[in-house]
Amino acid sequence: MKKKILSTLMCFSVVATTIMGCGANTNETTNGGSASSTDAGANTQSGSESADSGDKITLSIYTQYADDDTKVPYDYAVEQLKEAYPNVELNLIVQAQDDGQTLKTLAATGQLPDIYQASTDVINTFRESNQIMVLNDVAESTGFLDKLYDANKDLAYAEDGNIYAFPFSGQEYVLWYYNKALFEEYNLEVPTTYDELLNCVEVFTENGITPLALFGQEGWNTAAAYDVIATRYAEGGIKALDEGSASITDDGYVKAAEKMEELVAAGLFQEDATTTNYDQASEKFLSGEAAMFINGQWYIEDATKALGDDVDWMFYPAADAASYEAGKAVFSGGGSASGFAVNPDSENAALAAEVAEFITEKYCEAKVMYRHNPLVAIDTGKQPDSEYPAMMQKLSDTLPTITATTKFTWGLTNSTFNDAIQSESQGLVSGQFTAEEFIEDIADTME
Amino acid sequence: MKKYMGNKLAIFLFVLPALAIFIAFDFVPIIQVFTYSFTDWNGLTTPNFTGLQNYFDLFTDRVFTTSNRNQLIFAIVITVYQMLFATVFAITISDKKMKGRKFLRVAYFIPVILSVTVVCQLWSAILAGDGLLNQFVKLFNSDFKQNWLGDRYNAIYVIAFVNAWQWMGYQFALIVAGIKSIPSDYYEAARIDGCSNVLAHRKITIPLLAETYKFCLIISLTGGIKAFTEMNILTGGGPNKSTYTLTYMMYNAAFKKSDYGYGLAAASVMVLECMMVMLLINFIFRDKDQKKEEEKARRKRSA
Repeated sequence: MKKKILSTLMCFSVVATTIMGCGANTNETTNGGSASSTDAGANTQSGSESADSGDKITLSIYTQYADDDTKVPYDYAVEQLKEAYPNVELNLIVQAQDDGQTLKTLAATGQLPDIYQASTDVINTFRESNQIMVLNDVAESTGFLDKLYDANKDLAYAEDGNIYAFPFSGQEYVLWYYNKALFEEYNLEVPTTYDELLNCVEVFTENGITPLALFGQEGWNTAAAYDVIATRYAEGGIKALDEGSASITDDGYVKAAEKMEELVAAGLFQEDATTTNYDQASEKFLSGEAAMFINGQWYIEDATKALGDDVDWMFYPAADAASYEAGKAVFSGGGSASGFAVNPDSENAALAAEVAEFITEKYCEAKVMYRHNPLVAIDTGKQPDSEYPAMMQKLSDTLPTITATTKFTWGLTNSTFNDAIQSESQGLVSGQFTAEEFIEDIADTME
Repeated sequence: MKKYMGNKLAIFLFVLPALAIFIAFDFVPIIQVFTYSFTDWNGLTTPNFTGLQNYFDLFTDRVFTTSNRNQLIFAIVITVYQMLFATVFAITISDKKMKGRKFLRVAYFIPVILSVTVVCQLWSAILAGDGLLNQFVKLFNSDFKQNWLGDRYNAIYVIAFVNAWQWMGYQFALIVAGIKSIPSDYYEAARIDGCSNVLAHRKITIPLLAETYKFCLIISLTGGIKAFTEMNILTGGGPNKSTYTLTYMMYNAAFKKSDYGYGLAAASVMVLECMMVMLLINFIFRDKDQKKEEEKARRKRSA
C-alpha cells in the first residue's frame, strides 16, 4: 500500500513539475506579449515620432532578393533609406517562390512582417482578413499618387477602390526574343506568320537547334506562350477569360489552342519543355542552343549582356500578314495591382507605411538608373546611367502604339482560372494533350 | 509487476504526457481537418459551412481520379521495389562468408541519409532531356531517348522509382535487424536436414520476418498515398497535373487557390485511405492466436 501511495505521489510530482514548467513559460509569454502589444499601441500612434526621436527601429520586410533585377533595387533602397530615415533599419526576409505559401502561413499565425511584397492574390485574400493596411492617406500625403504615370493609375487601386500596395512595376510586356545571329546563319527571316514560323522550326530542328526554349515548369511561361497566340485571334487574351468577358469556347481561343497544338507537334518547343526551369531554358537561349525565347521585358538587360547585338525581340507572329500588322498594337502581359504592402498590426504601422512608399520610389529609381528599365510605376525624374539597350529603346518607341495588353498570371484575379490556364497550357506544351482537351477542361473548370 | 499494473492512477499519469501531446498535435488537427473540410475557407477568415459541397466537387474533379491512380501506382512500385530488393540485399549481406558486406551495408543505406531535395536534384539531372541517361542511350545510337519526367502516363513510374531508390535502404536496415534476431540454430538444423540456402531463407527467414514485413508494408503503402515531395520537385505535378496526388491537390487548393476547405476535403479522403490501408494490413497480418480466438468467438456465437 505504501509503495502504491509513494508511486502515486511521485507521479503527481512529475506531472505537477511539468505543468508548473509549462505554466511559467506561458506566463512569461503572456507577459511579454501584453507588454509588446502595449508598446505596439504606443508605437503605432507615434511611428514617425519615434523614428525622429533617435530610437532605432527595425522593420521587417519580405521581398524578392534573388537576382540582379531584385537585388540592385533593394540594395539601392536600403542605402537611400539610411540617409532619409537614419533610425530605421530593415530586416530582410527573402521572399520564397512558393505562390505566397510562406506569406499566408505567416498571416495565419499572426507573424506577418511589417512590410511585404503582395501579389494581387495576396491582396485579395488579406483584404478579407484585414491583414493588409489601407494606404489611401499615405499615398496622398507622400505625393505617391501624383508621381504615378497615368497609364499606371489603375495599378494602385484594388477592386474595392482602395490602395493596399505601392506598385513599383509599371505595365510589363511578354516579349518574343530571338537570336539574330542564328536567323542570319540559316538565312531565315524573322517570322511574321505561323507558316513562316513553321518553316523556321523545320530549319532549326534539322540543324539540331531548339527553335524556342520554354521554361514550362513555371506555369506562367506556358500560359504566356498560349496568350501570345490567343491575342492574335482574340484581343483580350487570357485577361478577357479571367474577367469573364470571353469564354474559352469562343472561336478565337479555340483557334489559338489548335494553332498551339500544331506548333508543338512541329517541334516549336524542346521536348522536355514542361520539366525545364528558367535557368535551363535561359542557358539554352543565351548559349545559342535555342533560337527563340519567351519572357518578360525584364530579361532585356540579361539578354543584352550575354548576346550583345545578336539578340532582339519580334512582334508576335500571326495567322496572316493583315492580322500580324493589326496585332502589333496588342501585347501579352500588363500591369497588376501588386507591390509593397503594410501589416496593419505592425508595432510601427504608420512608419512602415511611410517606409514602404519610400522604398517603392527608390525601387523605381534603381530600375530606371541601373537596370535600364523605364517601365516603372512612377515618374522618377531619373535618367539611366548609360544608354538604354537597343531592345529597350525599341520597346519604348513602340509603347505609344500599344492599344491593349492582357495580364501576366500573377495579375489574374480569378484563382480558379489562373490555376486552370497554367496547368492546361502546360499540357498543350507537352504535346500530350489535345486542343480539344484543353478547351473542354478549362470550360468544365470554369463551370 | 502486477502491483504496478494494478495502479490505474499511476498508469494514467504516466500515459498522460504522451497522450496529451498526441491529442494536441495529432488528434485535434485531424479533427480540425475533417471539420474545416465541410466549409468554404481561405485559411484566414471565418469559415462558412457548406456541407458536403467540397466532397461533391472533389469526387467530380478529373484530377481526383488521376491522383488516386497515381497514389496506387506509386504505392505499388515503391512497395514491390523496396521490399524485394531490401530482402534480397539483406539476405545476401547476412551471409558471413560474403566479401565486402560491410561496404555494401553502408552503401545501401547512404541514400536514406541524403535530403529528398538533393536526391531529386540528382535524379532530375540524370533524367532531364539532355541528362545523363539520355546521353548514355545516345552513345549506343539508340532511338530510345525518352522524356522521362514529362510523359503524361509514365512520369509517375519514374518518380516512384526515385522514391523507392532513396528509401530502399531504410527497409533494408529493418530487415537486416530482423534477420540478425533469428537464432542461428534454426539454420543449422535446416542444414543438417539437407536444406539448401534458398529453401532455408524461404522457410525460416521470410516467415519469421512477418512482423518486420508488416511494418515495411505499412510505411511503403502509406508513404505512397501521402507522396508529394518528389513530384513537387521533379515535375511540379505536371504535365497538366498528370503526376498529382491527393496531397498535391490539397497543396494546390490551399496555397495556390486559397481554397482551404476543398484542400482539406482532399486531405480527409487521404487520411481515410491511409487508415483503410492500415486496417487491411493489420487484418492480413493478424497472428494465428488472434485468428483462433476469432474462430472460437464465432463458434460460441453460432452455438
